[in-house]
Amino acid sequence: MGMIRVALDVPLPRLFDYLADDVSIEDIGCRARVPFGTGEKIGVIVAIPAQSEQSADKLKPVTAILRDMLPLPAEWIALCEFCARYYQHPLGAVMSFALPPLLRRGKLPRRKALAPINANPPAVPLLLPEQATAVAAIGAGEGFETYLLHGVTGSGKTEVYLRAIEAQLARGRQALMLVPEIALTPQLEGRVAARFPGARIVSAHSGVADAARARAFLDALEGRADIVLGTRLAVFMPLPRLGLIVVDEEHDASFKQQDGLRYSARDVAVFRAKQMNVPIVLGSATPSLESFHHARSGRYRLLSLNQRAVAEAMPTVRTVDTRREKLQDGLSAALLEALGLRLARGEQSLVFLNRRGFAPVLACAACGWISRCCRCAANRVVHLADKRLRCHHCGLEAGIPHACPDCGNLDIQPFGRGTQRLEAALQERFPQARVLRIDRDSASTPTKWQALLQQIHAGEVDILIGTQMLAKGHDFPRLTLVGAVGADAALFAADFRAPERLFAQLMQVGGRSGRADLAGEVLIQTEYPDHPLYLALTDHDYLRFAIAQLAEREQAGFPPFAFQALLRAEAPHVEVALAFLQNAAAAAAPLLGDAVMLYDPVPMRMYRMNNLERAQLLVESSSRPALQQFLGRWSERLGGLKTPRTSRWHLDVDPIEL
Amino acid sequence: MRHTPAGIAVIEFLLSHQSMQVEAGSKRRVACEMPCVALGPLAQLMAGSKPGDGVKVSGFLAARSLKVRSPILHINEIEFLEGTENGFQTEEERD
Repeated sequence: MGMIRVALDVPLPRLFDYLADDVSIEDIGCRARVPFGTGEKIGVIVAIPAQSEQSADKLKPVTAILRDMLPLPAEWIALCEFCARYYQHPLGAVMSFALPPLLRRGKLPRRKALAPINANPPAVPLLLPEQATAVAAIGAGEGFETYLLHGVTGSGKTEVYLRAIEAQLARGRQALMLVPEIALTPQLEGRVAARFPGARIVSAHSGVADAARARAFLDALEGRADIVLGTRLAVFMPLPRLGLIVVDEEHDASFKQQDGLRYSARDVAVFRAKQMNVPIVLGSATPSLESFHHARSGRYRLLSLNQRAVAEAMPTVRTVDTRREKLQDGLSAALLEALGLRLARGEQSLVFLNRRGFAPVLACAACGWISRCCRCAANRVVHLADKRLRCHHCGLEAGIPHACPDCGNLDIQPFGRGTQRLEAALQERFPQARVLRIDRDSASTPTKWQALLQQIHAGEVDILIGTQMLAKGHDFPRLTLVGAVGADAALFAADFRAPERLFAQLMQVGGRSGRADLAGEVLIQTEYPDHPLYLALTDHDYLRFAIAQLAEREQAGFPPFAFQALLRAEAPHVEVALAFLQNAAAAAAPLLGDAVMLYDPVPMRMYRMNNLERAQLLVESSSRPALQQFLGRWSERLGGLKTPRTSRWHLDVDPIEL
Repeated sequence: MRHTPAGIAVIEFLLSHQSMQVEAGSKRRVACEMPCVALGPLAQLMAGSKPGDGVKVSGFLAARSLKVRSPILHINEIEFLEGTENGFQTEEERD
């Protein structure tokens, strides 16, 4: 009688053995249907052990081994094992996440005949000298090497990716390309498909339907797909012929998953490139400080694109000092004038305000009532378009009250400014203009978003108002003005990564202007025009900003000069969460050693969310291996700690928000 | 005129007042200006008036806000007056 070891999706850091007839080493990587408790579960066979650690009389026989698809390759299992170890997550849960839902449930998609390949070779644009240097460097690399492609907006990073992919396809290899947002994939897919008419391209992101996603996974697994395009979850696509990984906009926070398996797809991609001994290209106009630090220390190879490929010059970036000016609807005279000028010239403008809704709070001036969320430590936001008060954290919503719920005053007022209010103000000020607002409310589905994009491209819009949704990746050839409003708040946020994010955001949103043959202009309204961040921005000087930020981080001992993990706990009452963290800290004490430091448990900044109160415990080390070793031993002990039924906890390794 | 987020009309205006009053036994002329606010249908009504129109109002006083404690007159009733001299109603006429 043989035996199989199966990874099951259960919240326990262990594997399960089952008895099985006629199993062989070939079955590793197959899915198996096994009895579990009173029901059945599907798992992945990760080993054929000779002996079980479980006592022989307790072993149950497997229900079925599913040999209906190619077994998952050993390196895919190794990748999942790495994630399980590194992110302190049960292996079965990692695999369950990495598999498409259909395969996870033990099913197979109906096969579809592959679409015929049409092979009209496209026109290939000429490379600028810097692009050519980058392409040559990546093409010449043998084996694993991480390239950090730092290219200013519009410098043609995508063309470099495409050339690198082209070289791999020519050698019969597969390429994996990760992008931050689902919204970006159709545009990119079109471009890649047009460029490689002879290649099979599959998409992998959460917007793909179950059957299609499973088919894409099988296409990749069985080596039929040549290019896999997708968001962070695509990093788990099995690729037997993998030759290159590309991570576009590598600094983007969406590569880090914020629940369940809290992995960073960028970091996992680097591991994977090393595992498969293939090159990886991380591209960005504003690389993350982590990646930039590696490039400076020589671990990554830095490739720079400083010239714009399409437009003649970078947009001029200016700050508008709003300290002494009386703003009209939050807009300065300079910005209003610039908007008027674009209108007269028939060009598009974009006003960037990273806050959706009409106003962030509804308040009663008579008694001081404000529209707090009863479930979160946050205010409910006024959405005038559909007359709702909505909490952006837990989703709680209600109609806008007629009168102040506390004192009865009818004259309750919205305070502050969101995109809807800006839209109304601009429409009133420029009645002849076609104003379009783009945020998660107006572009709530991919279909709506595509329709809005089409409107912009068709030139049916004069003034765009948008949140960060608009900042990423889209080219608007007629856009010549970008105004940034309300950016200052991020300068003084408690999170040490806030300036890095603000810089990247403003750089990206500014890069939307002047992409074709029209010169672009960027106006940033601020009360701190002399802030180094804005000065670096007006000079288009990422390097200066990044070097200054790294110096600050080094002084303060923050990442990338330290490695962090965060234990978060949530419970109906913060005392319970804090008590759990105190116990966890006590359990950690004997494991700490010299290299790992434990902070005190504290309530989180957003201390209450959806009726749960939250606290956190930060662990830090200057050595990643030391931290990893500690976390492995600590999480074993955490599993043994008593936790009240009402509370939950999780570990977040390399957290990006503290 | 503006509207609250719930759609209620709000209008703020300044009411000018002049009258003869008795103080410590002697008559005197007084004048003042009073900030007022009207909501709902009364706001619509006020929106149709013009500076100089004579009105007789009643209502209640409330602080402008939590911070600014000086009062503002909230209008509960309003009556447009015609034929009174300069739009003012004087104490003598009432007697």
